[in-house]
Amino acid sequence: MSMFSVKPMKPTFKCYLPPVQTDVKKAIEPIKKLEPKLLLGEIVVNEVNFVRKCISTDSSQDDLWGKLICTNFKVSFIPQDAPAKQRSQLSHFLLGEHDIPLTCLDQVVTVNDTKGKRKVLGSNQKLKFNPTELILYCKDLRIIRFCFGEAGPESAKKVCLAIAHYSHPADLHLLFGFEYQGRRYHEYKAKRVNGSTPRGGLQTPIFDRPSDWDREIKRTGASEWRVCSVNEGYAISPSLPEYIVVPASLADQDLKQYSSFFPDNRIPLWCWNHPSGSALIRMASITDPLHQRKIDQRVFTAITKSHPHRSEVIRLDLDKCLPNIQDIQSAFFKIRQICVMDPFEESEERWLSSIENSRWLEYVRAFLKHSAEVVYHLDGKNTSVVLAEEEDRDLNCIVSSLVQLMLDPHYRSLIGFQSLVQKEWVMAGHRFLDRCNHLKKSDKEESPLFTLFLDCVWQMMNQYPAAFEFTEAYLTVLTDSMWIPLFSTFLFNSPKQRNQHLADFAKNKAIPQGEEQSVYFPPVWDWSQQFSFKDQTLFNNPMYVGKGAACVQNGEVKTFRRTKKTYSSTLRGAPASMRNGLKSGEETLPRRGSLVSELKPDFSPVKDVVESPSERFFRDWFSRPIDQQGLLIPLLTPSHMALWKLFFLRWVPEACIPKGGSITAYHKLCQLVDEIEILQIQLRQYKGPSPGSTPLPSPSESRSDQRRMYFKASFPDDPSTPPDFLTSSFPFTPVGNLCRRNVHGTPISKFLNGAKIWLSTETLANDTV
Amino acid sequence: MEHIRTPKVENVRFLDRSSGQRKASVGTLYLSATHTIFVENNPESRKETWVLHSLVSSVDRPPPTPSGSQLILRCKDFHVFSLFIQQERECTEIHTALNRLTRPESYSELYCLSFNPNVNIEDRAQSWSFIDLMSDYKRMGVPNNLWVHTAANSEYKVCDSYPSELFVPKSAPPSIIVGSSRFRSRGRFPVLSYFHQDTLAAVCRCSQPLSGFSGRCHEDEMMLQALMKSNPGSDYIYVVDTRPKLNAMANKAAGKGYENEDHYSNIKLQFIGIENIHVMRSSQQKIIDVGEMRSPSMTDFLWGLENSGWLKHIKAILDAGVFIARAVADEGVSVLVHCSDGWDRTAQACSVASILLDPHYRTIQGFMVLIEKDWVSFGHKFSHRYAHLDGDPREVSPVLDQFLECVWQLSEQFPCAFEFNQRFLISIHTYVYSCQYGTFLGNSEKERRDMRLRDRSHSVWPQLWKDRSKYTNPLYQNQLSQNQSQGVLRPNTSPYCFKMWKGLYHHMDKSVPPRQSPADFLSAVREESHQLEEELTNHQERIAALTGRPVTWEKVQVPRRRVSQQWQRYLGPDPPTTYTQPITSPAHELSSKAANHKAGTAHPHLTLPLGVKGHDPSDLCTCSDLESGVADLSSHSSSGGDDGKDPDPYEAASTTA
Repeated sequence: MSMFSVKPMKPTFKCYLPPVQTDVKKAIEPIKKLEPKLLLGEIVVNEVNFVRKCISTDSSQDDLWGKLICTNFKVSFIPQDAPAKQRSQLSHFLLGEHDIPLTCLDQVVTVNDTKGKRKVLGSNQKLKFNPTELILYCKDLRIIRFCFGEAGPESAKKVCLAIAHYSHPADLHLLFGFEYQGRRYHEYKAKRVNGSTPRGGLQTPIFDRPSDWDREIKRTGASEWRVCSVNEGYAISPSLPEYIVVPASLADQDLKQYSSFFPDNRIPLWCWNHPSGSALIRMASITDPLHQRKIDQRVFTAITKSHPHRSEVIRLDLDKCLPNIQDIQSAFFKIRQICVMDPFEESEERWLSSIENSRWLEYVRAFLKHSAEVVYHLDGKNTSVVLAEEEDRDLNCIVSSLVQLMLDPHYRSLIGFQSLVQKEWVMAGHRFLDRCNHLKKSDKEESPLFTLFLDCVWQMMNQYPAAFEFTEAYLTVLTDSMWIPLFSTFLFNSPKQRNQHLADFAKNKAIPQGEEQSVYFPPVWDWSQQFSFKDQTLFNNPMYVGKGAACVQNGEVKTFRRTKKTYSSTLRGAPASMRNGLKSGEETLPRRGSLVSELKPDFSPVKDVVESPSERFFRDWFSRPIDQQGLLIPLLTPSHMALWKLFFLRWVPEACIPKGGSITAYHKLCQLVDEIEILQIQLRQYKGPSPGSTPLPSPSESRSDQRRMYFKASFPDDPSTPPDFLTSSFPFTPVGNLCRRNVHGTPISKFLNGAKIWLSTETLANDTV
Repeated sequence: MEHIRTPKVENVRFLDRSSGQRKASVGTLYLSATHTIFVENNPESRKETWVLHSLVSSVDRPPPTPSGSQLILRCKDFHVFSLFIQQERECTEIHTALNRLTRPESYSELYCLSFNPNVNIEDRAQSWSFIDLMSDYKRMGVPNNLWVHTAANSEYKVCDSYPSELFVPKSAPPSIIVGSSRFRSRGRFPVLSYFHQDTLAAVCRCSQPLSGFSGRCHEDEMMLQALMKSNPGSDYIYVVDTRPKLNAMANKAAGKGYENEDHYSNIKLQFIGIENIHVMRSSQQKIIDVGEMRSPSMTDFLWGLENSGWLKHIKAILDAGVFIARAVADEGVSVLVHCSDGWDRTAQACSVASILLDPHYRTIQGFMVLIEKDWVSFGHKFSHRYAHLDGDPREVSPVLDQFLECVWQLSEQFPCAFEFNQRFLISIHTYVYSCQYGTFLGNSEKERRDMRLRDRSHSVWPQLWKDRSKYTNPLYQNQLSQNQSQGVLRPNTSPYCFKMWKGLYHHMDKSVPPRQSPADFLSAVREESHQLEEELTNHQERIAALTGRPVTWEKVQVPRRRVSQQWQRYLGPDPPTTYTQPITSPAHELSSKAANHKAGTAHPHLTLPLGVKGHDPSDLCTCSDLESGVADLSSHSSSGGDDGKDPDPYEAASTTA
């Protein structure tokens, strides 16, 4: 190991050992002790020194030397000389810059370049060669490479095997969350005593108790619906929550009776009520056609009775018209291949047709379109809609949540959105464990439905940027959180499974009975587990026109909406000359009438004559002024579907725009909103202290952690230019996160990085050396 | 008017396809000397649509159906209108008339020359001096001891497609200029386009050399030597041939071609591979077709987009600009740019490079200067490329469209870098095609001078400047004060970063609220910020009045400086160049203006509700109050009017409030 140096000269492909280093001083420098940052209950399983982490694709110049560690939670790399932390990254409480949770690993590939061998490692496998390289394909689309050229061959091999083994847990309770949360609970118990807020201060409803459902019924005015506890203790169905909402006219006895006909005894589930009284219901399909008619009839009659106008029920079978989970998985597989796997030059050539070929955008569009049609029935026709799917646990989750997102502004707030996911995904029994394939048991069951849903949300957000309280950074961080096994949200297949595991967990970890599950094993919604308050402000959309966005104006509290009015009228009052030029009026303010055509082609063939009722509904909607706090219908022509770049391309160096991208607009907007908030504080000061309140601090005193915006208003002496670290990938960075090509560019590496990496071959046929 | 045999047809069904209208409206069609006008019968709205003849690119007549004959008007700004006329004979007559009216044969038929607005001559003269190119050269530090003004082309005697005012290396005497020009296609010898003060490197332009297979020219070689010498920081120059190498080689056979590196010392030749005008023309047609698909699938759209090749062409142009900008800003090496004649691809490459290099060109005024300099003055053949007159269709090509799109793509990558928004770009696009102003008429400075356009028409720039409030990008982050190297834009030109410019091609898309709403929101925020500040000032004054002593501390702590600066920018007087007064302001002078003047400044397809019932638009002389009604009527019209479609639900409340 005397050969080791911090910055190696490039070893050639043929020469296994690096060239002799001239800089001897560095070699004798005492080697820093490299200690991993461990979480509670985290233990080091195996480690190897003198590992090189590849940073950029084209050269080894920036590569880092350090120690590679496998723990029971993560793969960690500790660089010898840690470069200054890149500011573009969020500082994660649980994970360091070079850490990958084991659950995030998709494939562990070992390579011996000299022998021309490679192997995809599974659990408990043997490795017949000493790896020179380890390539980790991650579920968050990163590709990370380590080189063992100068590391001890045996240790390197052991670490690789350990990583492979520990990333294939034999059982759910071996996921690290079950260790960590237990320790964490007891560790922080003392601190919690005084501030014992209900549910650990969590504002997001979990829907595991009647009151959450009750509130939802009241909020949506669903007076003909009731919370029913027939499934208490999961007496009827393991995949339904204990408390569900059902038509008031159905007695528990009826429900029990009907349940036996549904797959998994899943009786129909109320999702949401339109202010006009029509309801959104989801249910599994009864397979036996004899029973199906009968039971459907009864259920539908009950739903009709719960409608104020007794209007009829429409049943939409989603699995008949939407892609299935395998389609979605294969589309995701392909688009991921195009975005991160294939060498850039290859995908560059035919970028658009490759995207098309993956069909991902087509599927995104299909789900949005279908959801818009459901919206038409609920809002335009005022009929209740039953979403039917074979098991009611996959496609129904996407469509029902999209429909609610379009119809109900509450779900476009951060808390509302989280409650929506909780209600339509977690509690409705979406098989997160299987779909995420955390245990890597069956690839057939794996499917990125939740990611697809988030992509649909992103499309809506992209089209209506002022309608959502949260940002695309939030959505991206949420996808990443799926791969951190510390939150109860994404670990289970059903409410019952969740309940059982958490109960067992509580028993094993000596957690007192009656303690809230969300306290001892918190969901992902407690973001302070992962990020500082300051970093969480990156979730706040400065453009959000929400109900709560109040501001003081002319001595009265007004909302942004009314401020907008002032704005428009200012424009309106502008001299006519301003609007008399080319494209006058039409462009000065958005003209909604022109949108009609955007949607029209999708909903009907274009004929000059007849217009279907749904077409008319959409045309009417698009011709009206848009209300950010009202119904939102996505634009569905293909030109409006966009690739979610932050998610798919954030690690791709070739796609990164330094000092550019929409983040620069975000930066500017944040500054402005922050500035306004400072002004508001000052104004309030002028009004003098209102009774019972202390005067607000002046802006210089106001602590930055109280401010909502990630970027703060610049002060007169500051230049307000965007900081240099802003790139279109912000808050992520491609640096070191996507190494898809061998540094040396050998034929074998080219082969390995191509499409065939997914083949598990022990030895390559050709002698490539 | 001699071409119009049927000035009026009743019971015509009319469909504005590009804005997505689906149900034809019934009304009366009028043909005037300048416009096709459709007036809806619906007594509620009496909506009018005016289509400028000069904006119509084709009038198609599909085979007649039992319900009548159809005419399809396709416009150069990608509007498409359908007319259904019951009587076959009338349809034929309208078709014939439109065919003639939309294809003027001489400049005198053009709109901007046919009307004679009642404007005082001084104003018109001032409109032409609104943009002063010499002051822009001065801004970049020219002339200096490296680059000097040359009188060689006065009276256009050396090159008739060049401007008379040119800058050349100090070490290039007239003999070399003249010699070099003889060795260059159309006499377009190397001259300065942009001078980069930081690095002293320059962007120069010319046309291809007449080298053939072995020809050489001593003066031309001296000229390039002089270019190199005028950049003390570098001992070579890049010669950027923006054509594909194959095309350049093919030109050799015709006695043209590209520089032989053996004959010129210290040049590095670089081909970029921007395709020729014919390829671009057909590519654009394909992307228009994509936009016109009625219900495309994801596959139709993405394949259509890729197969059009349009984005690839845009990328090639941007790549050319990036290459030049890097050479100049990063390497400090001067670049000589040419293509074949040096007036299409060269104009694109030079102006994109200038936009990347100099933040000034990303302002509203700077952008006007840039177009005036690199396009108008340097003899881009506007009238040929944009088919102002009925002529050779092979001369037509969307060269400037592509430049505008490059700028739009850049503005998508850098949302805060441009003072203007896409409305500005689209407006320029329309003005380039519409012939409402004299600015873009003709094919060279000389032609414009010979036509005495300055005495007969107006310049478009003051009009755009007057409307700047609607062209302003509220996200704009002024970088003018930064040093030059920081102000350089470094775009990503990988295919990931190019998208279809829906605003231009999908007409109905232009006003999609989501695209605008961040900007509108920001304007609202700024407005709000402004109001709050006023509020604050009021409070301060009141406190001061009540307490008898001034309150001072708050102002210091509010980060206002940046914003107030901007307000000053927007609200301040017009720039000190020359322009001081509104010139062709229809709004101010409507009532006193002749009808044709008003129509002249109107939107080419202005659509407005007619509030005055019983008004007969066939009598164009009484139209004088039509437009003046726009502002008033639209605010209380519920349908058809743009303002009536205001997305702001609180608008009604605010106007009554």
